[in-house]
Amino acid sequence: MTAPVGKKPVLTVKELVIEFQTERGVVRAVDGVSFELYAGQTLGIVGESGCGKTVTCLALLGLVPTPPGRIVSGSIELNGRNIVGLGDREMRNIRGRDISMIFQEPMTALNPVFTVGNQLCEVIRRHTDATRRQAHAQAVEMLAVVGIPAPAKRMGDYPHQLSGGMRQRVMIAMALSCNPSVLVADEPTTALDVTTQAQVIEQMVLLQEQFDMAVILITHDLGVVAETCEDVMVMYCGQVIEQAPASGLFTRPSHPYTAGLLASIPRIRRERLQELPVIRGMVPDLLSLPMGCRFSTRCEYADQRCQAQIPSLRTATGTDAAVACFKPLGEA
Amino acid sequence: MEILQFALRKIIGGIPLILGVTFISFLLMVYYGPDKTYELLGKNPTAEQIESVRAELGYDQPFLQRYVTYLREIVTLDFGNSFSSGERVNSILKRTMPISLAVITPGFILGNLLGLVLALVAAYHRSGWIDKAIMGFSVVGMSISFLIVVIAFQLIFCSSYGLNWFPSRGWDVYSLSDYLRFVTVPTMATIFVALGYNTRFYRAVIVEEMGRDHVRTARAFGTPPAQLLYRSVLKNSLIPIITRIMFSIPLVVISGSLIIETYFGIPGVGKVTYDAITQGDQPILKAVVGLTAVLFVLTLLITDILYRVVDPRVSLK
Ligand SMILES: Nc1ncnc2c1ncn2[C@@H]1O[C@H](COP(=O)(O)OP(=O)(O)OP(=O)(O)O)[C@@H](O)[C@H]1O
Ligand SMILES: [Mg+2]
Repeated sequence: MTAPVGKKPVLTVKELVIEFQTERGVVRAVDGVSFELYAGQTLGIVGESGCGKTVTCLALLGLVPTPPGRIVSGSIELNGRNIVGLGDREMRNIRGRDISMIFQEPMTALNPVFTVGNQLCEVIRRHTDATRRQAHAQAVEMLAVVGIPAPAKRMGDYPHQLSGGMRQRVMIAMALSCNPSVLVADEPTTALDVTTQAQVIEQMVLLQEQFDMAVILITHDLGVVAETCEDVMVMYCGQVIEQAPASGLFTRPSHPYTAGLLASIPRIRRERLQELPVIRGMVPDLLSLPMGCRFSTRCEYADQRCQAQIPSLRTATGTDAAVACFKPLGEA
Repeated sequence: MEILQFALRKIIGGIPLILGVTFISFLLMVYYGPDKTYELLGKNPTAEQIESVRAELGYDQPFLQRYVTYLREIVTLDFGNSFSSGERVNSILKRTMPISLAVITPGFILGNLLGLVLALVAAYHRSGWIDKAIMGFSVVGMSISFLIVVIAFQLIFCSSYGLNWFPSRGWDVYSLSDYLRFVTVPTMATIFVALGYNTRFYRAVIVEEMGRDHVRTARAFGTPPAQLLYRSVLKNSLIPIITRIMFSIPLVVISGSLIIETYFGIPGVGKVTYDAITQGDQPILKAVVGLTAVLFVLTLLITDILYRVVDPRVSLK
């Protein structure tokens, strides 16, 4: 990871393990995830559906639904304080103030029966001791900051009167209104059309610099990751299988799975694309995982050791990447 | 202004409903209801006597003409005199309606309010032991019949076998303390019977709302439980809640008061209606049916306006 010299991480996650009690048995949705995050830095989390990206992030806000979910072990240090096991009241003080999260569905993520102004002021007043008037002024300012035209007018609008992109901007305004040290964005643009996607992402990058926040960006769009993230964490079946600076990851992936993900991005320039190279096979069921490396069932390089032992995360020779693989690419 | 226009449109739209309900009810009343003629006559009446009584009751006129008369009565709100007592129907209603309202209202309001509170608590502690206990009691409450509840409550609260705190029957109200004395047991019985149904219904509505994205957003921004339940959950489930409450009003007013008033010997509209049915007192039945239909249309109207008040997405169209 690219750790800035002399700076302390705002967020340190160590060996996080989260399990869900389901009808068919206990599912380990997050299995030993560790990472650090510094102010001003963006960490991208990528991986196929169901690999534990959202659950990892929910844990950062203490929002893992309990039951059925449970943080089994590990620690989450936010600004130097372990927040795992904090009481409900303390956790509420942290949410929205020290760490904020924006979700995938802007159409339904806001409360439909209150104006956006009301909802913004509500958050501001909860976490600061602003008066009604100050909160209002700050809310208008935040709407302007996220690029909403005529913000004072928009304050009185209900969510259904705004477009999807506008609503997601309102969500961002809300998330930033108390100046959090960490912003978690879980597929913030998936539900938006392409042009709006680009605008919203651009706005987020701008704001991150302005507010000097640490950002965690979950997305399926590897192009966005390449443009916005310093570091990338690739998850597979609840585990981190590769963690590397974005620049290196995209040019020289170490894990065969990462390479497969990258290869599955359609490249328009490549002429006469016969078929999209996809990773063969299916993601294994979390209830019946392979014995060894979880990717071994789909990996073309897997040998006996891969099927018997779980590789741990280590630095791949000659790169900045940490990779959980016995036979990383380029090391053979 | 918009509201007034809307109300007018709705009322006009409700006229066919009123016509339909009253027409069918009147048809049934005339052809299948009890005939008052022979009750009023002595033994062995002559043909002329029968004729004159039938003319007096209006039975001799053709059906459609009688129906038009009925409609005129609804519009002018004047239903003539009772066949049984000869008292003016309007004055009977004026005397008994306040009693019925006084008997039903507390139980109706408390039953819904308590149901809502229990449902919120249960939904918030979903699948915990509090939830299970509340839902368990609801099922028990739902499965006991009203008659048993009334008898049990009368035994417990109104008889010398029990606490003997309240009168078991009657309505002898001249002051607030009288009122409380007579209204308490009927109210408790209605609450007991309605609570299970209300709690289950409201819990289902609230649980659904709690799973919505905007509730998760509110959580993610540190909203405390009371505010979460009020601002995010309750405010957004008001449409089904209002629908249930409003649509149960006509039902509760008629059938609720009918049952309670007969069991507790309270001289309200329910009792009057019950007597009118058994005695074939058409003017009273016509009034009750007509007013219920009107009440129903008004309820629909108010419900629609309330939707608009609680949900900015609803427009008055
Ligand atoms: N409420 C829950 N109950 C039971 N299991 C759950 C629950 N939430 C998540 N899981 C489990 O955790 C796993 C990871 O889910 P998560 O939502 O983190 O996936 P994701 O990586 O965000 O996927 P996506 O890209 O589709 O959003 C799921 O496969 C599922 O088995
Ligand atoms: Mg997800």
